[in-house]
Amino acid sequence: MDSIYAIVSPGVLSQIFVGLSRTTILFIVASGLSLILGVLRIPNVAHGSLYMIGAFAAYTVTKVFGGGSTGFWMALIIAPLIVALVSLIAERGMFQFLYEREHLMLLLLTFAFSLVFGDLVKLVWGGEYKSVPVPHIFQGFVPLFGGLPFPRYNIFLLVAGPVVAILLWLLTNKTKIGKIARAAAVDREMVGAVGINVSWVFAIVFVIGCFLAGLGGVLVAPTVSVTLGMDHNLIMEAFLIVIMGGLGNIWGALLGALIFGITQSLGILVWPQFGIIFPYLAVVIVLLFRPTGLLKSTW
Amino acid sequence: MKKSMIFSVIFLFFVGLFAVSPLLYAQSAIKVGIVDTYTGPATTFTMDVLDGFKLAVNKINAKGGVLGKKIEYATRDEKFKPDIGLAMAKELVLKEKVDILMGTINSATTLAISDFVRKEKIPFFVTFAKSDKIIGEKGHKYIFNMNENTAMAGKAAAIALSKKPYVKYWIAGDDYEYGHAIADGVWNNLKKMKPQVQKVGESWWKVGEADFTPYITQILAAKPDFIIVATGGSGMVNFQKAAKATGLSQKIPFYQHTAVELSVVKPQGQNAPEGVYGTANYFFYYPDTPANKAFVEEFKKAYNREPRIGALSGYMTAQFIAEGYKKAGKIDTEALIKALEGMSLDSPVGPLAIRACDHQLELPMYFGVTKKNPKYDFLVAGDIQVIQAKDYMPTCEEVKKLRK
Repeated sequence: MDSIYAIVSPGVLSQIFVGLSRTTILFIVASGLSLILGVLRIPNVAHGSLYMIGAFAAYTVTKVFGGGSTGFWMALIIAPLIVALVSLIAERGMFQFLYEREHLMLLLLTFAFSLVFGDLVKLVWGGEYKSVPVPHIFQGFVPLFGGLPFPRYNIFLLVAGPVVAILLWLLTNKTKIGKIARAAAVDREMVGAVGINVSWVFAIVFVIGCFLAGLGGVLVAPTVSVTLGMDHNLIMEAFLIVIMGGLGNIWGALLGALIFGITQSLGILVWPQFGIIFPYLAVVIVLLFRPTGLLKSTW
Repeated sequence: MKKSMIFSVIFLFFVGLFAVSPLLYAQSAIKVGIVDTYTGPATTFTMDVLDGFKLAVNKINAKGGVLGKKIEYATRDEKFKPDIGLAMAKELVLKEKVDILMGTINSATTLAISDFVRKEKIPFFVTFAKSDKIIGEKGHKYIFNMNENTAMAGKAAAIALSKKPYVKYWIAGDDYEYGHAIADGVWNNLKKMKPQVQKVGESWWKVGEADFTPYITQILAAKPDFIIVATGGSGMVNFQKAAKATGLSQKIPFYQHTAVELSVVKPQGQNAPEGVYGTANYFFYYPDTPANKAFVEEFKKAYNREPRIGALSGYMTAQFIAEGYKKAGKIDTEALIKALEGMSLDSPVGPLAIRACDHQLELPMYFGVTKKNPKYDFLVAGDIQVIQAKDYMPTCEEVKKLRK
């Protein structure tokens, strides 16, 4: 370890890993957004709301199962499914009729949905802050990197991120639905012409994307207060990440999330008073040199 | 021909009804217009104001109202947007003919309405907005401030902190007006009261920041004695959770205004960090007096939850309106304002007076530290130190100077 510290100080190393764990949630949510953007061509502003519903659902599920560690693990499975169900209803009931509309219309429609979801959450869960406890084994911190404390839960996030990324890779590259979805992203009519029900492919992709938003919501819940308005804070960042990485490209979302998370945590180290500007500065620089994003856009 | 005649008559009848009804209202009741945020995260606080107000109004009306008139109220959701808030205040005053306005949680909305009520000569009771400009430089005769503001909270905290041994301070907070105002309030007063304090660094994050871990690891490395954390809203809980997860709360003590308040500690249950300093104007368990207990019982019976800070300000606003008119002896704005100046009423936290010179409610401030208590399944404020209103409020001369 000492030889590493000679190159990078423990403070910087700790900050990088904190940034990486933050990347996990950003990546999971942004990849869902990117997936929908790539295949369905919907700039889904309501994606943040589904993330919020995921967090609120996690609160309820945790509470139903006694409010302890079991509750959290159950929430990790059930809450994203609840979000998936909500999104399935929204897709079958509304979005499926609107795929041919122009993007501005879809943007407005999904924005309207984000307002509706926001009010629904208020009706169901009320306006109070909710909190999901950190599961018992991840409570507290471990002294890492020269004794600097590192929260155990962030270690869990560091593991969860790559797992989701690999599962997503398997899904898009190794399964039939993944292959069809990728084909539909490139040429929708051709996929229809070979006898595949494109409408249902879209529904499945939409639900998977929203499932990811819900999963992000569950994973973030133990670290924050679950509250109305958490959707707005996230959707901005998620869109920036997707734009930076290349529209519709999941690996672009990963790259964008990495840049976003790490520039932020290192920015805080360099200049704590103005730490917030660094990720946005990174976005500006990326878009200056690569206006279509870092990786190949599907658009 | 006949048909259209009937239509016209019915139409005219309804038009007439609409034209007359506001007048009927104006004669039979005292109308209070409430403009506040009822959508989004701010509802955590605004619902308590409204429920506290309703509780008092129902009691007043059950006893026959004020000077033979019932108190009626209408609410408007300003959606945390100053332009909407101002439009709604105008609608309430010009169309609904309300006698009194109250609200809001948004300082910008409050300042916009304040400007409007000054021209319209309508009394405006501020129930949650925290900007010190409301009662300070933008203050006027028709404004009544029923809660503390950033300058007052900052000074109250500075009074308590100046007695603590800490010297090296770190300042952190939400990068918007409220955050900077609280931080400046604490720091400028603290420097005056205890000149040897020094600032070792600052960090500012965007409002709504979800993950404080990178900020905290950075602060830990700088090893300050104490941290002033100027967060508001959901940032309060987010910071406390991160402080617990990183072990910050065990290593370096920190202060957040309202850190000990129910809306922050209750959602976290037993998992909230212990040893966090905070200030608040109201706890349902303190002061442990019959008056407070009775209020809590009453509130719990009506709404099935404990009252929080907003409930007190809503509850007292209704009572001041009622008692003000009673003392004035007539429904008249100027007489009401005169009657309210210097008026003192019993409240759950003891007698509260409206200061004559600036219409600021003289609330005591409680400085405490989060502690576990076997009686509750969430943390409560311990070691409560009461800071009297006269000590942390700006003096009448200071307010006068600001208003020029």
